[in-house]
Amino acid sequence: MMSVNNGGMRTGQDTAPNGTARASWERTNTMSNPSTPTKHLKSPKPQNAITIAVSSRVLFNMDKEQQIYEQKGMEEYLKYQIEHETEPFGPGPAFPFVKALEAVNTRLRELYPESEELFDVVLMTNNHAHVGLRLINTINHHRLFIERFCMTGGNSPIGYLKAYHTNLYLSADPMKVREALEEGIAAATMFNPPEKRTEVSETQLRVAFDGDAVLFSDESERIYKAHGLDKFFEHEKAHENTLLDHGPLKGFLESLGKLQKKFYAKGQRMDCPIRTYLVTARSAASSGTRALKTLRSWGLDTDEALFLAGAPKGPMLEKIRPHIFFDDQMFHVEGAAELGTVAAHVPYGVAQKRPQKKLAEENAKDSSAAAK
Amino acid sequence: MDSMVRNPDVKQRDAAQAVVVAVSSDAIFDPEVEQVHGATEPLRKGDAFSFMKAIQVVNERLLTLNSDETLLFDVILLSNDSEEKHSRIIASAKHYGLDIGRFCFCNKEDSIESLQSNEVKLFLSMDTNDVCKALQKGVPAALLYHQTDPNHQTEDQLKVVFSGDVIGSSEEMLHGLREQGFTETQLQGFKTAKGSVKEFAILMGEMRRRFGLEGSPLCTGLMTVWSSRDVCASALKTLRGWGLLVDEAFCLAGAPRSPILNLGFIGNTMKSSTYVKEGRDYSMYYGLEV
Repeated sequence: MMSVNNGGMRTGQDTAPNGTARASWERTNTMSNPSTPTKHLKSPKPQNAITIAVSSRVLFNMDKEQQIYEQKGMEEYLKYQIEHETEPFGPGPAFPFVKALEAVNTRLRELYPESEELFDVVLMTNNHAHVGLRLINTINHHRLFIERFCMTGGNSPIGYLKAYHTNLYLSADPMKVREALEEGIAAATMFNPPEKRTEVSETQLRVAFDGDAVLFSDESERIYKAHGLDKFFEHEKAHENTLLDHGPLKGFLESLGKLQKKFYAKGQRMDCPIRTYLVTARSAASSGTRALKTLRSWGLDTDEALFLAGAPKGPMLEKIRPHIFFDDQMFHVEGAAELGTVAAHVPYGVAQKRPQKKLAEENAKDSSAAAK
Repeated sequence: MDSMVRNPDVKQRDAAQAVVVAVSSDAIFDPEVEQVHGATEPLRKGDAFSFMKAIQVVNERLLTLNSDETLLFDVILLSNDSEEKHSRIIASAKHYGLDIGRFCFCNKEDSIESLQSNEVKLFLSMDTNDVCKALQKGVPAALLYHQTDPNHQTEDQLKVVFSGDVIGSSEEMLHGLREQGFTETQLQGFKTAKGSVKEFAILMGEMRRRFGLEGSPLCTGLMTVWSSRDVCASALKTLRGWGLLVDEAFCLAGAPRSPILNLGFIGNTMKSSTYVKEGRDYSMYYGLEV
């Protein structure tokens, strides 16, 4: 009989009929009655974990309810939610991503039972607590391991994101995503999942990133926008050996890399449940060099780097099947979705249509500081 | 033995209908102030001063909606200070225009008795030990939190947070906490606290219903610190059964609660008083004080 040291878990381990030990959360999740005591694993301390905050509308499908809110107002919306409290929501765009995070956690717990270096998924919503029971019922129904949530009843959740060391924030609200980015938190806006959704793995987490203005700063995009493609190439060639500055999602890639190394350390490189991809419009022959050199000097890499030299990203992503793809340009986000990939928009840098909120805020801060 | 002084500047509430709340004077006025014999200038504002202002806003809004409203906060200021400070306290309250109905001056040892005899619905203090003692004697009590985030001034909204660990507690849930290291005394504390918070929760539910969903000067919340989400769900159901539908809900699964409390809750949480040790671990890590 195998027994795994489970100092971090207060509950004992089960043994399945064939004699192998199973993690107690697996056992818990086969219980269908949510009112039986959940012998749950202890959640990691926020500073140790990789905290992924998701809003209720990206984790679950709340389209119908959102419509009611927009058309009939808050009271009707809440009344409807309470009336339908025992009906779980369906999965939202971030749902497969969250499931994959949990799959990684399972593998990590097997290899490092004492470690708190895990993904911690937190529900961070400015929804009203009246919706709380329905959300909890839904979490139970889908057997998600989400033990932390903040329902802020209309207030901005940004302060809580910072307080809980959030590594990535996903929301349906672009305003909140911008706010988070401005506070230095990696964030992206998610949309309704594509109608025709590509099947994704349940055992391997796959995350794809655009390069400029996502992993890297938008400095090169600025050149391209201002002076065109030729100037862009010239500039990149001239600065080949100069590192690009970092972009908003660099930290998240770094966190993924840290976890990957934990699998490599246990000889699981081939079987690693995390796989990362760089999907960039840069070309391998020229402008791609600078990107790769930058990653290397940061001590980071991606498992695959795809240089599309301007070709559309949709078809490539369809082959990769990531759980999520981050890009700063809606054109690429939409293109990806058209071919079945769940894509998230990082509203950062010069590619954004609207002027940066930060500038406006900075002006406001300056004038109020002057007034004090 | 206590001495009760009515505040002539404040219209006396009907104590039977009002929500009588006793607040420790150390929370309202800075206790660190140098006691200069014979000094007369107003005492400095204490850490929970804005809490008083928030209570006032709620009362004012209630009266605006209904000038005959009797479900108002009726504040008793509880002071263990020396006699020479009494008049200064009263004068300071007047100076700041605080809505304090009565002043209760007594010795520290007699405080609990005073609270009991005045049928206080809730006793508030920033001192964990005081709150603990009161709870142990069956007096509903809670901690006032020092608000540290300057960007979240909540003088215009009173936030009251209830403990999901207390309200959602059941034998099963307590067993889970036992496994996490809580002692039997602490667990008994949960049960006592649950009993004593019910009445206050019902009153808060009634008061909250006087206002609309948005723009309410009274905001209610639920916070579950250690227990699972199912305990939080149980607490939400229990509160609903008591007539209180909270606005905000937090389930922390052991994460530090100070970020939430310091960001916007000059609220009171029932359970933190009993679990000083755990609370201090986290708070010390963040360099904040409970």
